[in-house]
Amino acid sequence: MFESITQIAPYIFFFLLAGLAIGSAIAVVAQRNPLYSAISLIGVFVALAGLYLTLAAPFIAVVQIIVYAGAIMVLVVFVIMLLNVETEDRRPLRLRSLVPIAVLLAAVLFAEAAFIFYFVNEAPAPPSPVATLNPSSVGLTASIGAGLFTTYLLPFEITSILILMALVGAMSLARRSAIRPTDVVVPGAAVLPRQTFEPARVGDATPVRADTTTEAAALSGLWDRAHEREDD
Amino acid sequence: MIPLSWYLALSAVLFTIGVAGVIIKRNAIAMFMCIELMLNAVNLTFVAFSSFFRDVSGQLFVFIVMTVAAAEAAVGLGIILAIFRNRESLDVDDASVMKL
Repeated sequence: MFESITQIAPYIFFFLLAGLAIGSAIAVVAQRNPLYSAISLIGVFVALAGLYLTLAAPFIAVVQIIVYAGAIMVLVVFVIMLLNVETEDRRPLRLRSLVPIAVLLAAVLFAEAAFIFYFVNEAPAPPSPVATLNPSSVGLTASIGAGLFTTYLLPFEITSILILMALVGAMSLARRSAIRPTDVVVPGAAVLPRQTFEPARVGDATPVRADTTTEAAALSGLWDRAHEREDD
Repeated sequence: MIPLSWYLALSAVLFTIGVAGVIIKRNAIAMFMCIELMLNAVNLTFVAFSSFFRDVSGQLFVFIVMTVAAAEAAVGLGIILAIFRNRESLDVDDASVMKL
């Protein structure tokens, strides 16, 4: 009796977690409120962490929870809250005539996948590879740390450079002046109509050329005003 | 022991749902989350192979994929913020040209 339960338990866990993962993944796509999608995505991450545990990979399971469900999703939810994203409205389907073709192609893809899975399962099992590590130690932190700092040291260090680049890139993107609106004077060889600087002279399209920031500021009247304020 | 092909099938299903989401969704943040879903489906494949072949390399690769995903999240959300500030909209149809 106990023997049979220990044999069945992994299957129950697998189906429970796989069902949670697929259900949450469908909810991510089906929800029209991005915040609900984000919560569903956390469900997928937690289900996958459970599956990693059934695959004897506790380190990856914990990192999955900390990095994905913790850091990345907090960032996403933070941005959703910051931007006050509204619910996506339902739109009429464009290119309705292509729907039958899409269904046909999806059926072909599904048949292909089923064919491959069937014949892979029918094929004789390949010779099992030589175990390089003790089976019980594959997913543990010690073996992952040893791998990261010996065989895969170079990719690990390159990853740190990537993180640094992402840090600098995100900061320069999120600066308020990162993307200027087009009606601001841009130093350089920009040529703008005089109307841009002096709204009173509507219709005056005489080009004005500014090659430096101070020149542009002086032309637009900003420079003088700034100096007057300094004098006061 | 659960067969390897079950994990691969689950991974394929999750990846397909992610692809469908990227195609269907018009909201930039929702598309971003579907990309994360696809990355996770691939991670499941890596861990399944790593566990079945008793080789730790697959899990190291998952570690690096997670790092890249974190970097992608930072830069991607920065781009989404910049687009929203410029266009007051997160709809990707409104951002279909590279011009400002």
